[in-house]
Parts: sequence; C-alpha cells; structure tokens
Amino acid sequence: MKEFNIVLAGVGGQGILLAAEVLGTAAIKEGLNVRVSELHGMAQRGGAVVSNVRIGEKVLAATVLEGHADVLLGFEPLETLRSLKFASEKALVIMSDEKIPPTELAAKMMKYPSMEEIVEKIHRFTKNVIIVEAAKLAKKAGNILTQNIVLIGALAATEKMPVKTESVMEALRELVPPKHLDINVKAFKLGYKYVKKGKTKF
Amino acid sequence: MPDLHVLLQDKPGKHVLLLGNEAIARGILEAGIGIVTTYPGTPASEIGDSISEIAKDAGIYMEYSTNEIVATEVAGGAANCGVRALTAMKHVGLNVASDFVMTLAYAGVRGGLVIVTADDPECYSSQNEQDNRFYALLSNLPCLEPSNSQEAKDMTISAIEISEKLELPVLLRTTTRVSHTRGPVVYGRVTKPNLKGEFIKDVKRLVMVPANSRPKHGVLLRKMEKAKEISETSPYNIVVHEGKNKEFGVISSSSAYNYAVEAADLLGLDADIMKLGMTHPLPEKMIGEFLKKHEKIIIVEELEPYLEMQIKAVAKDYAPDVEIYGKMSKQYFPREGELSTRAVAMGLAKITSRKLPIDFGKIDENYAEVARNLPPRPPILCAGCPHRASLYVMKKVAGEKLVYSTDIGCYALGCAPPLRAGDMMTCMGASIGTAEGISRVISQNTFAIIGDSTFFHAGIPGLINAVYNNHKVIVAVLDNLTTAMTGHQPHPGTGMTGMHTPSEKILIEDVAEGCGVKYVKVVDPFKIKEAEAVLKEALARSGPSVIVFRAPCALMVVRERRRKGAEVVVCKITDKCTNCLACVKLLGCPALIVEDGKVEINEALCVACGLCASVCPYNAIECAKMD
Repeated sequence: MKEFNIVLAGVGGQGILLAAEVLGTAAIKEGLNVRVSELHGMAQRGGAVVSNVRIGEKVLAATVLEGHADVLLGFEPLETLRSLKFASEKALVIMSDEKIPPTELAAKMMKYPSMEEIVEKIHRFTKNVIIVEAAKLAKKAGNILTQNIVLIGALAATEKMPVKTESVMEALRELVPPKHLDINVKAFKLGYKYVKKGKTKF
Repeated sequence: MPDLHVLLQDKPGKHVLLLGNEAIARGILEAGIGIVTTYPGTPASEIGDSISEIAKDAGIYMEYSTNEIVATEVAGGAANCGVRALTAMKHVGLNVASDFVMTLAYAGVRGGLVIVTADDPECYSSQNEQDNRFYALLSNLPCLEPSNSQEAKDMTISAIEISEKLELPVLLRTTTRVSHTRGPVVYGRVTKPNLKGEFIKDVKRLVMVPANSRPKHGVLLRKMEKAKEISETSPYNIVVHEGKNKEFGVISSSSAYNYAVEAADLLGLDADIMKLGMTHPLPEKMIGEFLKKHEKIIIVEELEPYLEMQIKAVAKDYAPDVEIYGKMSKQYFPREGELSTRAVAMGLAKITSRKLPIDFGKIDENYAEVARNLPPRPPILCAGCPHRASLYVMKKVAGEKLVYSTDIGCYALGCAPPLRAGDMMTCMGASIGTAEGISRVISQNTFAIIGDSTFFHAGIPGLINAVYNNHKVIVAVLDNLTTAMTGHQPHPGTGMTGMHTPSEKILIEDVAEGCGVKYVKVVDPFKIKEAEAVLKEALARSGPSVIVFRAPCALMVVRERRRKGAEVVVCKITDKCTNCLACVKLLGCPALIVEDGKVEINEALCVACGLCASVCPYNAIECAKMD
C-alpha cells in the first residue's frame, strides 16, 4: 500500500472529528503512519466541515490531493458533492442520505436537489456509491447523534481500509466515553450489517 | 480525545495519536514546565485546554489570563524567578502581547520561557493571516517551526532548553495544519515540574529604564550570535534528502515542507531537500554551503517570503549567481492563503519544466459542473443562539440607519443576512473604539457589539474612553457566560478558573458602573419586549450606555440538558401558519427549514429557545419554554 486517503465531509456538529480520530487511532494501533486533519473554531459553527485521514508510510501532508481520495465518507449529501474533487476515479463514496438544508436554501426558496440528481453528480467522478440510511440506523441504535459511527461501521464493512475492523472497534472503545459506548457499538454494528447485507441504495 | 489523561502517562516509547496542540501539551509535561498561561484563540486553544484538564494531576499551574499580554506577563514574571513557563496564543494574540515581548527580549529570562504563536494561513478562524515569523526578526527572539505533532512535542522541549541556554524567550510557531493535525507521537520521559521560584533583585537586568535598556540591546544582539551557532548545528536544520538531481535544491519549513516532499515525489524530482526547523536565526553558513552546490534554489514556504528574503541576503555573500525561485522576483508559489500539495506541485512543475502527472484542469472542469448551484454553507449562529435574539432586537429597534461596530466572537457571524448586524470588525476590543470614532463624525448613536470574554480582554479601556470623552455609543455586551467560539473556556465573569477552582465572578455591569457609565442595564435577549424598551431608552441618550444581553450559549444549554437527561419539546408549527416565512426571513435559524414552500422545524437542531415563536406575526409557533 502506497497510501490510503479518506475524506470525511459534512456539517459542523455531526461528529466528523470523532469519526476521523477513530479511524486515525485504529491505524496507529496497527503501527501505521497516519495524519488526521481537523478544523476547529469558527469553521465548526454549523458550517461545512472537512476532515482528512491519510494512512501510509510516506504520508506527511495533512490534506488529500485533489483526485487522490480512496474513500469519500459523506455525512450529508450536499457536503459530499462539495468534496468530490478529492475523489479518485476508483474512489468509493459512502454517503448518508440525511439531508441538512443550508439556511440559504430556505431564504432563497431554493429546492434541495433530489437523491437521483446527487448520485448523478457523484457518478461524474466515480461509479462506486453506497448510500446509507444513517439517521434511521442511528435512531435505531438509540441516538440520532451516532450517525458518524454508523458510517464508520459501513466503511469497515466494505473492507477497503488498510486496518482491521477489530482495530476500529478498539479505537471506538478508547475514544467514546463509557456511558455512551453501548449505543455507539450498536450504531457501528448496524452500519456494518447494513452494508454487509447489501441493503444499500443505488 | 475524550480522556486527556492519556497525556499524563509516563511511558517512554509509547505511540499515541496526538493533535499538534496536544503534542505541545505533552512537551510541556516532558519539559517540566511549571506555569502555563493562555488566552484561548483558534488554532492555539487546545494547548491551554489540554493542560487545564490535567494541570492538577500534573502539578502544573495553569491559567486562562484576561488577554495575551497579561498571559505573557504572568509567564514572563514566573520565568524570571527561574520557573519554566509557556504561554500560548493565536497569531493575532502576539500583536496584543508584543509590547511586553519586545522589551522582555532585552531583560531576558532565567527559567525557560516558550511563547507559542499559532498562525492561521487561509484565515480558517481568524481576521487575518499574518506571518508571525517576522516577530522573531523584529524582536530578535529564536524561533522554532514544527511540521508535525512529533516535532511539536520535541521542539517544545528544545525551545525550553534553548531559552535557558540563551536566557531569552523562544517562539514556537505553528500553523493551523500543525496545531490541528493528528499524527503519531512517541512519548519521552515526564519531568516533574518545578513551581517554586525565587526572585533575585537585579535592577540593571530587569528594570528597563533607558540607562539599563541601552546596553541590553547589545546584550540581545550578542545572544543572537550565540543563537546562530545553535541554529548551525541544530538537529532541526538538516538536509533531509540527497537527490540525484543536483541542478535544484529545495529549502522548506513547517507544513510547507510536507507539501514540498510530497509534490517533489509526485513529479519524480529527486532533488536535495533542506528542512529548516529553527528558522530564527537562520543557519547562514549551512544555507550558504547549500546554495553553492546548486544552480537553482527553490524555496517553499507558506505565507510571506520570510525565508526567501533572508536566503537572498545569504546568497549575496555565498553564491551571488544562484537563482532563487519562490515568491519574490521569481514568483511560483502563492503568497496568500494556505499552501497545498497541488499548489506546490504546480510551482515545482513550472520551475523544473516537468509535466504534472495529474490533469488538475480536468478535475476542476468536472468539479465546476458539480459545484454549480451548490448552495454555500458558511458557519452560522447555532439554533437557539442568544446572539441571534440580541442582534434581532437591536436591528428591530434601531434599523439600518445606525452603524453596528462589532467584534471578535460568534456574534461576528451576525454580519451575514438576514440579521446583517455588523458593519465593521477588525480585532479584539476594537468595536468600542471604532464606534466612538464613527459616532463622533457621523453625529449619531453608534452600536458597539462585543462578547463577554472579549469585553474583559480588551473592551474596558475603550469603555473608559467612551465615558471620559463622552462618546455617543451603545455598548451591547453579548454575554453568553463563556468563551464560546474557541471551545467554551471560562473567563473572569464565569467564576471558574483554568484550574477548575471557583473564583470571584466579575460582573460586566459592575465593571461598567465602575468605569463611570451612567446607563447600565442587564436584559434577557429572549424577552424581546423588555429588551426593546431598554434599547429605546439607551438610544434616547446622548452619552455612552451599556446593555448586557445575558443568556447562556445554546451549546452549553444543550449539553446541560443532555447531562440531565431532560427531554426537549421542540417548537411546533401550528395550522395558524400562513407560510409568510417571516420567521425564516427575520432570523435565519438553521432549525427553520422550508419544504415545498412550507416552514418546518428541524427536530434534531431545534433547542426550543422560542425566538421564532416570539417573532411570528400570526402566533403560529408553539414553544414550551424550557429552563
């Protein structure tokens, strides 16, 4: 493996930084070199948030080069589109179907694009798309806020990552506060099974 | 990292994934630093926050000081008693601290003192993207620049050592991509901090009256000569790669180095690469010899041509014919914004006449198609944010005609539509002074909008000036009882310290009265009618007034409810709704969404603040007010 690049894209407050840290910690557990980029402060206040996880011996830079992401983990459809320039032609896009309309849409009476339109745009970059009903699964796990972990479970199920699923679970146990761990493990498993059972749309 | 106590483990050799700022915190523990001070500011905040969490267990004294100059003074005072100290701030914080720093450089220190400046190329969370390496040149202080988390930790320790060797404060300069990137860190040994200092009276050394400071300038310059020797042999200044291609030599530092290596790899440019980690003073001899070996030198650095200017001067003495490519006469890299592997690769390709292996044009073209009509998603005030209510009521009462001078904090986001309450904003505390100048010459009442933490930081001198010179300003202090934007740090009004011990709560209204303001009121911004009445009164006055809009940050409210397990009954749109969209158009709350022309409440975001219910002209929104 030369390098493995994951771009996580969504909206501030969706738990993107925790998801990225879980993936980075899993890589460290296997003795791999890794960089996880984060953005804090003003950028987090309900705005678009992008985090990168880069795994590989020679990886130095915090950010993924355009066209070089192996996985685009989309926490929100429009934000997935916004980060498409990072996707390689073979990239796998794993996307939550939970729409969060930007306030400007409401103010300008614009319509949120349909899922078909969104997928059609993703197809311009890559044909590999998995759509996960992350909100539904997170609610089933017991907390709507665990969508981030549902998506991590979904990613683990694809077996694309150069780290073992056990390492991801171990990282999760380390990083999630004990009182929320059960719900998060449940969310992980629901995301995992969702992809394994091929329930994904498109 | 939910449990920061991982930082305390005395397990040399342990591999941990740390944020650059957490790595600096670990460096603080390994260096035995006893005093840590800070004023929170992105991208520096997690240095102080991490230490705040573990200070008691680590035996460190930590404080959130009122502002950066006070933070540096506290650290500088302690360091002059022989205790190792560190102060951390964002780049613009060093502007505030600079008055003290410039002369502390003359006086020097006895215990090591590290001043961390975290720069923010691309202004991710800042008002400018100044390059603070120039402070090293200006003040004659040594400067270290880490490129990753491991170096951030190691250089914190080295900075303390250099500081004690030279008896001089040392700057540790990070950037957003160093401070906010996680990378592997190998732990060293933890050193027990010493907190016990001794003040040795020495007027000539420490009292910078002209007679004493004149000779101190010379002392400082001689310290710089010693620092140059340290730089020449520093393990951080090295040729990291000897390439086959001897035509080109690359010199780089910090995050730019990471991009430079990856971009050179991408292009198959097997050139010599020199990495500079101690960037003030520069290792002149070492650089001179490197210049001599190459026909062309490529300097890859972020923001200003700081290295390039100095390396050109070195070239004059060592290799006058060498061609230097960078950002000055041979301009190949952007001077504005942050760098990227792409920007560096494009510059390198042009300089070395190589073809890029990636068709960025094609990616851009394809992306332009996708991005067309993609609505932007800038940061906004959260659902339930009390600032929304405060700004809404101010605009409702005073309208568009008045000028709204605003300040650094979440409320600056209120400059965007639909609130548009923010006409000028520059730096911490400036809202009040600028409002005074504006009101004086436009002859009308002018608003100064300032947050609680910002008021304590730099608002008070401006307020005293308003009283002293009788300016027609209405100072609206938006008090959400925390330093919200940077991650909810305590401040003098919260009654809590960085050591998690209770302290005197300083009330803003008391400060204002103490400053001589005759009209001081405290209002709950969600009680719109009462707030309106107070604002009208203030507007009718001809002198300065202070209105404290007090309600806790919505994020804290939500967190507290979650902790208690309280169920939130979100706002409800009833069938009285005519879909006039007044709520949407007036407030811009992210919890109000429009589906097929109909207003809906996003249940995941609504925190039941009830502001939309207050503004609805048809009383069509029901809100069970909580708390």
